[in-house]
Amino acid sequence: MGAPAPERGPRTGQRNLPPPSLLRRGFPRRATAAVAAALRCGAWPGPAAATDSAETGASACGDVTIAEMNWASAAVAAHVTAIILHEGYGCTPDLVPGDTVPTVTSMTEKGEPDVAPEVWINAAREAVDKAVAEGRLKIAGEILSDGGVEGWWIPDYMVEEHPELTTLQAVRERPDLFPDKEEPGKGRFYGCPPGWACEHLNVNLFAAYGMEEAGFTLFNPGSSEGLKGAIARQFERRRPIFTYYWAPTAILGRYPLVRLGGMEHDPETWDCIADKDCADPRPNGWEPSVVLTVVTSRFAEESPEAFDFLSRLSWSNEVVNGFLAWQDERQATARETAEHFLGSREEIWGAWVPEEVAEKVKAGL
Amino acid sequence: MADWLREFPTLEVGELRALKKSFDAAYRGFSREYGEAIEAFFDPLLYLLIRFEQLLLATPWWLMIAVIAGLCYLASRSRWLTAGVVVTFFAIGWLGMWEDTMRTLAIILVSTLMAVAAGIPVGIAMSRSDRVQAVITPVLDVMQTMPIFVYLIPVVMLFGLGKIPGVIAVVIYAVPPVIRLTNLGIRLVDEEVLEAADAFGADARRRLLGVQLPLALPNIMAGVNQTIMMALSMVVISSMIGVKGLGQPVLRAVTNQYFALGLFNGAAVVALAIVFDRITQSCGRRLQANR
Repeated sequence: MGAPAPERGPRTGQRNLPPPSLLRRGFPRRATAAVAAALRCGAWPGPAAATDSAETGASACGDVTIAEMNWASAAVAAHVTAIILHEGYGCTPDLVPGDTVPTVTSMTEKGEPDVAPEVWINAAREAVDKAVAEGRLKIAGEILSDGGVEGWWIPDYMVEEHPELTTLQAVRERPDLFPDKEEPGKGRFYGCPPGWACEHLNVNLFAAYGMEEAGFTLFNPGSSEGLKGAIARQFERRRPIFTYYWAPTAILGRYPLVRLGGMEHDPETWDCIADKDCADPRPNGWEPSVVLTVVTSRFAEESPEAFDFLSRLSWSNEVVNGFLAWQDERQATARETAEHFLGSREEIWGAWVPEEVAEKVKAGL
Repeated sequence: MADWLREFPTLEVGELRALKKSFDAAYRGFSREYGEAIEAFFDPLLYLLIRFEQLLLATPWWLMIAVIAGLCYLASRSRWLTAGVVVTFFAIGWLGMWEDTMRTLAIILVSTLMAVAAGIPVGIAMSRSDRVQAVITPVLDVMQTMPIFVYLIPVVMLFGLGKIPGVIAVVIYAVPPVIRLTNLGIRLVDEEVLEAADAFGADARRRLLGVQLPLALPNIMAGVNQTIMMALSMVVISSMIGVKGLGQPVLRAVTNQYFALGLFNGAAVVALAIVFDRITQSCGRRLQANR
């Protein structure tokens, strides 16, 4: 713990190990391209379509590297971007694994990868601001139109049964509806996994709203996988759960949770809420996190058409939750999910590109 | 060359996925159907766990240390060991880990109790029949080698997060040694001793309780010792499904690279392990000496 951490999304506290695919994809790209192409499972099918660019009259797009971040929504975003750039603009995209801070640093310092489709700005605000000011990076647009959402949620069937439970204040009155078997007589609130950035936020908000006095226990789920399992289990049996969660996620697509109102964001006291040793936590709430598509300035200048597409690339949490749930149910890969999205939601992505590009993408699917 | 000679004949992606999905759906159906009943079956265990944890947390620290030191001395009759244990527990309390240590102690003791209660009868059954042994040995192999995360999430689907799934995961992992060593200990009892027992007219029950088990006791204690060690090694993993105790600070340390936090809590787990190990081992040695 060093300087007071700025507000951060839940993922930024999590240090994922690189996915196994990193081992396969981590070759120096150009030097061993042939070997790598043979080994990469996420490899792009050859530069065959690169000739298209001449016909469209678009400027040469050429090779473009796209960061595939190590969480589900960003991986699908990377594949959607890659498919559209390939089929519609004749680029030769290549996906490289990434994580917020390392990818932004690499884009700034080495100009690679060219495109990062899903950058959670709270985790890299300073680095991105500085690089934009220096003219190294360009912000294309907000990929998540309603931003990353965090909050306290309950299942929709709980709200159907008890229509008054739409705000935290109403839930606070009814610990009996969310019983904690291990603490008879109390209600259980599932907090944030240990060590994640959201942990202190939840601990402080729990205190700020006087949840303990109201008869709730702050239950530490131990891991995000555990929390996921607990939510799935309660939904399978239509049992109550009162939990911290965040969107966009497959969980919210599969299991309709309702976000509780009555938690207003107050920038004045938020720094204290984010501080581990906050002495006097005050009622507060999450603000939607801004999630951006970031590209290198070089790419933006060389491929203005592609940049134009990236600046329009935007979807809502509902859409993302939906395809993540589709992916989760089918245990599909990010690539398959991207193809599913492009095949079924043309009304969304059709607005990002000119008509003739959309036709080409459709033909290529 | 035919295709199936060059490339391993595999299920198609779609078929494989359908297969996996049918497994998942079957398990989900099972958990929906019988989940409540299985959970109700374990309610007494949950009650025991909660009460035991409350007892340990409510006991004043000096009394707790006195009790642990007393047990240690009774088991080992070693002043040095007892003094070491007392110092260790003072250090744990002084570094602010008393409460987490008590929670971990509670869950480890209850898990060990469950493992011993389930393991010794199974071990006895194995020792009496080669066929039972042939069936149970591979099951134990699976329990010991199956990666824990594979059954952690199914356990959560069945029991939710908390103490019960934690104890179940710990017991699955920790029970094999006590079963194996009970079986081995009884099988190692001298044939001649048993003949003598028969000659004195002992029935099967007396032969087991009066001759075989006492003679196998050092081995059984070694099994209990191993079971406790394995249960302790599950502390961090069980905390990933919501078990409170020393595991959660370790997880926090791992995700944030807090070196000292991880080291202190890890050292507390080691301290518990050493205490348990020395007590059970010297207990086993003394049993052997009294033979």
